Amino acid sequence: MTATTDMPAPARTIDTSGRLCPYPIVETAKAIRTMDDGAVLLVVATDPGIALDMPMWCRATRNEHLGTFREGGAWKSFVRKRGRGGRP
Amino acid sequence: MTRPAKAIAMISGGLDSTLALALVRRQGIAVKAINFYTGFCITETQRRKGGRADGTVPRNEALRAAADLEVEIEYVDVSGGPYLDMLVHPRYGYGKNANPCVDCRIFMMSRAREIMLAEGADFVFTGEVLGQRPKSQRRDTLRIIERESGLEGRLLRPLSAKLLPPTVPEQEGLVDRERLLDISGRSRLRQMALARELGIADFPQPAGGCCYLTDESFARKFFDVLDAREAAGEERRLVPDDVVLLSTGRHFRLSPRAKLVVGRTEVENALLEHHVAGRARVEAKGVLGPVALVEGEPTWEERVLASRIVARYGKGKDLPKVEVEWREDDLVETYEVEPEQDEARLEALRV
Repeated sequence: MTATTDMPAPARTIDTSGRLCPYPIVETAKAIRTMDDGAVLLVVATDPGIALDMPMWCRATRNEHLGTFREGGAWKSFVRKRGRGGRP
Repeated sequence: MTRPAKAIAMISGGLDSTLALALVRRQGIAVKAINFYTGFCITETQRRKGGRADGTVPRNEALRAAADLEVEIEYVDVSGGPYLDMLVHPRYGYGKNANPCVDCRIFMMSRAREIMLAEGADFVFTGEVLGQRPKSQRRDTLRIIERESGLEGRLLRPLSAKLLPPTVPEQEGLVDRERLLDISGRSRLRQMALARELGIADFPQPAGGCCYLTDESFARKFFDVLDAREAAGEERRLVPDDVVLLSTGRHFRLSPRAKLVVGRTEVENALLEHHVAGRARVEAKGVLGPVALVEGEPTWEERVLASRIVARYGKGKDLPKVEVEWREDDLVETYEVEPEQDEARLEALRV
């Protein structure tokens, strides 16, 4: 079973704890813009909606959702930045 | 087609905006989707409160639509002061409740225009349908919204486009008008058929909107805040804190200068704890009960009344006396009160 320990080391971590939908995704979008292609972002959130939102946001933006894991009252979501090649 | 076009899609994730997105995308037009965060979205508030009564968490439909159609999406936060000022002083008035839909659309489309210009896009489009909503989607108001937002000729409504004058991107051949539609009215039958044709199976059922401002009970609280401020000689305005409190708890108007908000659930109690600053925090001692906030300047009698109401909504409601803690900055007092039993009085105070 995949766990946070199986995830690649993040190049950047943002903590959105206490912020509610849609801020975790807004902050993710801002952070990912500053990162290099292939780098991994770790998003920590307490809004349970992130487990639904992050995979959808990654599909919409063609970044790679590596996994979202619950740890106590928080969620950890790993995203690998992908280039925008192929977007129409 | 003369050259590749680019468009900004205003999407909510509902059926109409999802279809509009699909119609424009299938013409090979590059699209960036935007979704406005106003603070009044019912779905977002449900999520803020831990989900629905059945334990499920509502998904973000705008994100879902963008993901399904592989369109980049950006959230635009308009929940601050200028938006709240517009809500309090709408130029085109309110709908049935606290919903100034025409002004709200103008506000959002003005922002969409700025994004269109910044992105070098050719036009903005929406899922609006002519005649679907009584106020904001009439032919005359669609025209007003287009003009007032500065998007004249650059605002495409793909679902009703053939019933409206051709836009600039249609005239320039960037958009094929023949592949747009002529839907009008409140029926969703054509949209449902189009969804099947386009292979769009996953969309929320039309539910009469997702905005608290259209809710009658919310509107009472909205206007109560404004009226009370005006009666107290203050400016008629809303602040961001109001937005959260208006959708949280039971509200009781004690006087123009004092209001009581009583949490209804553990999640609401926790939410109220985040808004204690500048308010009195009231809670029963020794028995389980809700967290409540009192804002304004209550008289002594109103303090007792608020305490009695708070005691009434706790486990000690049938006790002869309940101790209630009143905490205001560093001041902590304890009142021993009889839980309020007069339901008619409660109803008279309820906002």
